[in-house]
Amino acid sequence: MRRILPKYESIIGEVSASKLRQVAVDLKGARVVHVNSTREGGGVAEILFWMIPLMNELGLEASWEVMEGNPEYFTATKSFHNGLQGNNVILTDKIIKSYEDTVAANADRLRPVLEEADFVVIHDPQPAMLYDLCPNRKGKWIWRCHIDVSKPNRKVWNYISSKVDRYDASIFSMPDFARKLNHPQFIIAPSIDPLSDKNRELSENDINRTLTEFNIDHDRPILCQISRFDRFKDPLGVIQAFKLLNGAFNAQLILAGGGATDDPEGAAVLEEVTDAAEGNESIHVMMLPSDAHRTINALQRASTVIIQKSLQEGFGLTVTEAMWKHKPVIGGNTGGIRLQVHNYHTGFLVNTPDGAALRIRKLLSRPDLIDIMGATAKEFVKENYLCNRQLRENLTLMLGLRRGLANHLITD
Amino acid sequence: MTESENTNMPFRIKDCTLIVRMAGLREAMNLRELEERISTCPVECLFHHFCETVIRPTFDDPDYPNDFAQWASRQLRDRVLAERLANINPYKFLSFEELRRATLEIIQERLSELDYIPWAPNGNVFHFMQAVTVVYDTGILIDSIKDLNDQLPYMSHGSIYYHFVEARRRTENGMDDFSVWLSDKKVETEALVKALSEIDFYFLSLAELKQTLIDTISGFVMGEIYA
Repeated sequence: MRRILPKYESIIGEVSASKLRQVAVDLKGARVVHVNSTREGGGVAEILFWMIPLMNELGLEASWEVMEGNPEYFTATKSFHNGLQGNNVILTDKIIKSYEDTVAANADRLRPVLEEADFVVIHDPQPAMLYDLCPNRKGKWIWRCHIDVSKPNRKVWNYISSKVDRYDASIFSMPDFARKLNHPQFIIAPSIDPLSDKNRELSENDINRTLTEFNIDHDRPILCQISRFDRFKDPLGVIQAFKLLNGAFNAQLILAGGGATDDPEGAAVLEEVTDAAEGNESIHVMMLPSDAHRTINALQRASTVIIQKSLQEGFGLTVTEAMWKHKPVIGGNTGGIRLQVHNYHTGFLVNTPDGAALRIRKLLSRPDLIDIMGATAKEFVKENYLCNRQLRENLTLMLGLRRGLANHLITD
Repeated sequence: MTESENTNMPFRIKDCTLIVRMAGLREAMNLRELEERISTCPVECLFHHFCETVIRPTFDDPDYPNDFAQWASRQLRDRVLAERLANINPYKFLSFEELRRATLEIIQERLSELDYIPWAPNGNVFHFMQAVTVVYDTGILIDSIKDLNDQLPYMSHGSIYYHFVEARRRTENGMDDFSVWLSDKKVETEALVKALSEIDFYFLSLAELKQTLIDTISGFVMGEIYA
């Protein structure tokens, strides 16, 4: 087996790596099965891509199962997803039947491995009903909810909560995302993988090649927002802030992101953004494919200041990515951005385009501040938001569940 | 010094990690609700919001060392209340019930001063949390003060937290683990124990506390050597 922990150790340090090994000691040989709905694309798959090999290297027996289903099933689970996030969806009998039939078929396939596992981690609502269909469970079942379910559609929540209520525990990314269930609810923030294409170190040549490819001037300050073309990310507000600079500092603005294929509004927002940027050669609007991880990495590294002026945000991993690259972030005062951006330390929180323009001016006029805040930001991410912390907390939760969740557990 | 010290039990370096969970209480949207929840919340919840902030993934905020003060400042926008709450040192109280009473006293006093009840903006409620701490043995043994001095720079923040901060909840007289171990030693350690007891650790981040411990213990070791 190819060993990857030493690669992480060179980044996170010996003490953090040793801590992971020690937490895993009491879990050696534990069979852990993760179940989600896709092996490629999306945040959950990205997490499992690093988590499974690391768990195995630490001595657990981790595996990853993926739900199989027809388009009706994925349409149904998309409805659940939207409903859990508060959108108004109608839960028809047909949707429920499609969901339940598909989960039942998957249960027939997965039952032996799930019932024998010491820990089963079910990601999001797609596989949630597997619990009911595996009556001879031996291990602990955890529902890992990556979605903000704080204000769900009531009918969708009633249905999904009836499927997950009897689990042994659930995990949410932030307290704000959680909802009351009949079992302990844990908070584990997401993280980034420093070895992934999106975050690993790049050479100056790689970065410069990307800038050249997109006709971006290497010598002028670069302001950059990486995000989907979505109104909640406020790309028009970013352009407004940029225009308020009136050409000061000779800066350039990059707005780059992919458009989700299931987001009909994305195309309309992109058009509005393109219109707003028209005639201004210093604004670069880029529609990138969903796998353009290295391009995004290069754009973030080439930037002078990163902007994430969201009006509404989940945890905001694009902020984490930027901070890991030694960049201060000017972020919207919302969601998980507030956990990461701390005024005068790692960047600035802003509420308006005017506020963003003000903070851009401040940073561009003080390169020393950019450097100091960038260094603080990187250290903050290293301490708190790299994947070793997320893995350690997952292992800690497993130990806690195995030993009865007393407040203070001493391992053997 | 080392030979006579070695007749004592070695110090086992432990480490800890914690996992945060919801405490099962409704969130507080205003100061009145904060008061009500604090009056009934489990002590683990008080401990978490006053003491475990340093070990949790969070940004070190030197102004407001506990969650209640931070919320009062950032969400209720009440700097007066925030300053008063921030000044509470939970380790000065003999029990968590005393800490609870002192916290409630400050909140009730503030409510009596105001003509209105401060509310948090929509979506900025206070969530009541607690944590499960898992402690494990690192396998590293320390025989002498010099060993302790050598090992300190390599200790994780979890070890520093467990032995110097969290220990006060476990040990008799609310002492840190290093001082308990040093007090049992046959060599003269009184000055070092006194120096450790004078560290105002509650208002330091774990990184700052670690550096302070390194400075204190290395100062003692150097003094011994030069003496």
